[in-house]
Amino acid sequence: MLWVGLGLGAVFGALLQLSGASSHTKIVNALRLRDWTIIKLILMGIGVGMIGIHGLDVLGWAHMKVKDLYVLGILEAGLIFGVGFALTGYCPGTALAAVAEGKADALVTVSGGLVGALTFAFLVPELEEEALAIGWYGPITLPEVLGIRGIWLAIPVGCLVMWAAFRLPEFGRRP
Amino acid sequence: MRNDGAHVRPMIPWWAGGLGIGLVLTVAVGLVQPIGVSTQYVVLDGVFLHAVAPDLAARSPYLVDLAEGWSLATYEFAFVAGIPLGAFLSAWMTGRFSPRIIPREWKARFGRSPIKRLAASFLGGFLLLFGARLGGGCTSGHMISGVSQLALSSLLFSAAVFTGGILTAHLLYPDHPDHIEEA
Repeated sequence: MLWVGLGLGAVFGALLQLSGASSHTKIVNALRLRDWTIIKLILMGIGVGMIGIHGLDVLGWAHMKVKDLYVLGILEAGLIFGVGFALTGYCPGTALAAVAEGKADALVTVSGGLVGALTFAFLVPELEEEALAIGWYGPITLPEVLGIRGIWLAIPVGCLVMWAAFRLPEFGRRP
Repeated sequence: MRNDGAHVRPMIPWWAGGLGIGLVLTVAVGLVQPIGVSTQYVVLDGVFLHAVAPDLAARSPYLVDLAEGWSLATYEFAFVAGIPLGAFLSAWMTGRFSPRIIPREWKARFGRSPIKRLAASFLGGFLLLFGARLGGGCTSGHMISGVSQLALSSLLFSAAVFTGGILTAHLLYPDHPDHIEEA
């Protein structure tokens, strides 16, 4: 299983690197709405993945793992993450790929990340009472809310997302 | 600096990369579980802290829980360790291994001080992982795996990430015409 993990991770890392997702320029310009390549990449990945894993699910082969919804905590978390995303130009995964390309600022990003994760680990008891408890709904998915089978939503939404990826321009507005 | 620009054009088109990522996710879900990265930062912290100060590490139930058995020999950690391995091999084989400290966009806007860039990188990295742990996932776990599973938490997280990211990027890099250099 270790080798499977290492192999899959290596393919994932290579894909991030080859697609430009590990590039600070690509990420920052995506967030500046100037270069849509990374947005298209993410949408395409989600579209294929959505149909792929729900297809497996129909066959009973999917090992799903749905994350809990806690509205306030998730909102705060996403906003904090977004600020870090724009400041660094990396996310936790692409920073690792960028380190491997020799980017010193990505190495410092990873170090900051290790400190941030450790800080969180020691703040959990306090945070749990506040952010994590407000608006708690547990691990729910859109198909569950709508009361339909996952695949019947995954196919149209997955296709829609891929269509959007193809429709978006590669480069955005330039003032 | 000029050198950096030559390495921005991706080697493969976005649709091929996206197709590959979607397939990696599908294979991972079929074999083990959805993909994720940010938890392993906690695991690495836990294993390191357990090695140097076991009592302190044991005091965080979160560390004890996530860094199960204080071991790095897990599928999940191997997956994350594979990311730099694959990225290094592909960068090296395509001649795109290019060490540098300050990215081009940053240099054009904030100058050539490495201290400034590295301080922002450290702070940003802290926020990335603090946010990811508070939310229970990052771009891989929430955005790619979570949205693919049509999880409501992941849809909300992704919307918040782009809101925070786009606002911050516009504050950091206001659109002055003299900053525009790439076609």
